Amino acid sequence: MEHRWGMAIDLDRCTGCEACVVACHAENNLPVAPPDQAATGRTVHWIRVDRYYEGEFPDIKVKYMPVMCQHCDDAPCEPVCPTYATYHNNEGLNVQVYNRCVGTFYCANNCPYTVRYFNWFDPEWPQPLQLQLNPDVAVRVSGVMEKCSFCIQRIKRSKEDAAQGPRPLADGDVKPACVQSCPAEAMVFGDLADPESKVSRLAENGRATKLLEGLGTKPKVFYLQRAK
Amino acid sequence: MYLIGEFRETRAAAAAIQKLRAGGIGPGDLDLFSEEPVALPRGLLDRPSHMSLVSVLGAIALGSLATLFVRYAQNDYKLVTGGMPIFSFWATGVITYEMTMLGAIVATFIWFLWESGLVRKRDQRAPVPRVAPGSMCLRVRCAADWADRANEIMKGSGAVHIERRADA
Amino acid sequence: MAPAPELLPYAKIREDLFRPLSGAGSSYWLTMLAALAVVLAGAYAWSYQLRFGMGVTGLQRPVFWGFYIVDFVFWIGISHAGTLISAILRLTEAAWRKPITRAAEAITVFALMIGGLFPIIHLGRAWYFYWLIPYPNDRLIWPNFRSPLVWDLTAIITYITGSVIYLYLPLIPDMAQLAEHNTPWRRKLYRILSLGWTGSDREWHALERAMKLMAGIILAVAVSVHTVVAWDFAMTIAPGWHSTIFGPYFVAGAIFSGIAALIIVMALIRKVLKLELYLTDHHFNNLSKLLLMMSLLWLYFTMAEHLTVWYGNEPEEMTVFNAKTRSAYAPLFWGMVGLNFVVPFVLLGIRRLRTIQTAAFSSVCVLIGMWLERYLIAVPTLTNPRLTSATSSYFPSWVEITITAATFAGMVMLYLIFAKIFPIIAVWEFKPHVAEEE
Repeated sequence: MEHRWGMAIDLDRCTGCEACVVACHAENNLPVAPPDQAATGRTVHWIRVDRYYEGEFPDIKVKYMPVMCQHCDDAPCEPVCPTYATYHNNEGLNVQVYNRCVGTFYCANNCPYTVRYFNWFDPEWPQPLQLQLNPDVAVRVSGVMEKCSFCIQRIKRSKEDAAQGPRPLADGDVKPACVQSCPAEAMVFGDLADPESKVSRLAENGRATKLLEGLGTKPKVFYLQRAK
Repeated sequence: MYLIGEFRETRAAAAAIQKLRAGGIGPGDLDLFSEEPVALPRGLLDRPSHMSLVSVLGAIALGSLATLFVRYAQNDYKLVTGGMPIFSFWATGVITYEMTMLGAIVATFIWFLWESGLVRKRDQRAPVPRVAPGSMCLRVRCAADWADRANEIMKGSGAVHIERRADA
Repeated sequence: MAPAPELLPYAKIREDLFRPLSGAGSSYWLTMLAALAVVLAGAYAWSYQLRFGMGVTGLQRPVFWGFYIVDFVFWIGISHAGTLISAILRLTEAAWRKPITRAAEAITVFALMIGGLFPIIHLGRAWYFYWLIPYPNDRLIWPNFRSPLVWDLTAIITYITGSVIYLYLPLIPDMAQLAEHNTPWRRKLYRILSLGWTGSDREWHALERAMKLMAGIILAVAVSVHTVVAWDFAMTIAPGWHSTIFGPYFVAGAIFSGIAALIIVMALIRKVLKLELYLTDHHFNNLSKLLLMMSLLWLYFTMAEHLTVWYGNEPEEMTVFNAKTRSAYAPLFWGMVGLNFVVPFVLLGIRRLRTIQTAAFSSVCVLIGMWLERYLIAVPTLTNPRLTSATSSYFPSWVEITITAATFAGMVMLYLIFAKIFPIIAVWEFKPHVAEEE
């Protein structure tokens, strides 16, 4: 049976520590924006933590929401790419093919979650970070759009390891970098096609919501939060 | 034998053409040269045209071809995007429309080149009159023994100048 | 009062309309040089961008479309000048269009050439732009025909082919007339382009039939082209863009800016080429009335779009609406309304104020206003995404400004070259008909 990868994030556990952001940077060879670029908003964070404030000091409440590509089943970014650089693979992932991207920016304009990031220049890393690049992940060139891939390299590696066994892929075998690094264990990744997997059970949870659900994009990231 | 008569007024040229045709000269042997289009009365020197038909056929041809090509291409490499079916006519309908229009445009232009005679293998020996501004020249091709009669007809209709040219 | 141009002697008409083709004064060369300098600056800016990356622009997430897309829509809009004048007026047999058609058609072709550059200029990897063209390749993949950008490609290719043919067809008889020009290279050029035109009635009939067909076809194409460009925005789900009115809105706006561009070009060539006898108050009066009418139509569409957004009061749409009309972009928005509506309404609506000069001035205001309209469609939506953590701003960099300026200079250059090689008024269309049957 085909896998259908999805994620569940428990917002009531999330502390906003941004360990997931750092882990994603390390795993996926994200470029580090120099200070002047960061000042103009050109940092690249495949996963970012949005903060929503309620109330006035001293009664402030903050909600932390890690937002990454939702891998929508009805992704608005997909039909508009003229070169099929972004398309849906048969495991439900919204795949970005860097080699096909011509840089029309159309996908990014159509993404309601603003989770797509562009390579404005060739990537660079402050010394010695360029020595810790992940060999499993491509380094993108200038002019190409990128976004969270649900650590597709880790999915592939786990599937290969399971095939070596041979043993079936177990729930929890695949852990994207963000899920792996979360100290509060707020993030769960798994196969939505498997009704017994943790992520499927969490998706059925009464606290499960989806971001911008009314748009009909059918995102596959479930945010668990106490209803107000 | 070619006769080239210069006229200053449409009426005069029209009268000449009418009499010449009554005398048996066919429209294929008559050519009216001018520096701008001349509006002759209907039926006098009509040139049948298939341009509209060719234009429509070209439109249908290229439009269908383009749509079939899109269908083939999208089925050739079946990539799913945004929940749409592999081939969606409405999602690519604009391409059908534009290619239909392009077919019409190209067909019209090519047919124009043909129908006007600009790219046909022309009778190079036929003399082309140099039209003075404000005039129009009627070129008649007829048998040598008919030349005098043609000359009279044109003169009688009001030609200001008539020239004879033998077949080269 | 000057005699109606149709009644001038043939020799004078010929002389007046062919005179610009011989020789060029110092002001011509100076203008060319200045335009060339700006064009070269633009070429340098683009090469700089190609070398270093799109980061040299002012773009930033989430404003991924900026000056270049605005310029693209703007220039494609201007290209509707020729279509309106040539096609619609030809179909309605309005005689006053005759001295204007070729100038208008030339604007169309050049505006399309320039506008068609921008989809390439704005690409992150512009050197791969040809991947949008369907050809068998070793990537084993065809372009995504569902994407509005590929629709753009087909629309613009069709329109440019049609416009070039539409410009060329009525040029053929004039080329034949010029074939005896004194300069050898011109003689050769004109002779080749005239395709051996002799002026026989067979040729005239075919030409007239072709022109009639082309007028109808090009009108259909023009409407579709700007609709497809509008759908680049409208087919997305971005707030402020996903509107059904965009298709007709953009077409109306295009015709509006096209007429404005035409008036400016007409006023300039009238002055520079001394064509006062041929481009008269009558022509400018009619064009001004057309401009005024399109201004009102533009106002109607703008009102319809914004009123429905405001009344519906959807939060994400209202964020964009407020940014446009009340906060960050309000000065530009209301300035646009002033330029597009108030100025033409006053200067051209009041009969006494309607002169060639005020028409030209209004047209300049309209062009600025229409450029602003495109800017205000593209940018406020992008700076106000649905997830507010990404809210941002946009300011163009020198690269974008230089390239934009270079396109205007490029238009001037192309037009100057055109006016020197081809008669800007179609002589054969313009010459009075020999007296016809009553």
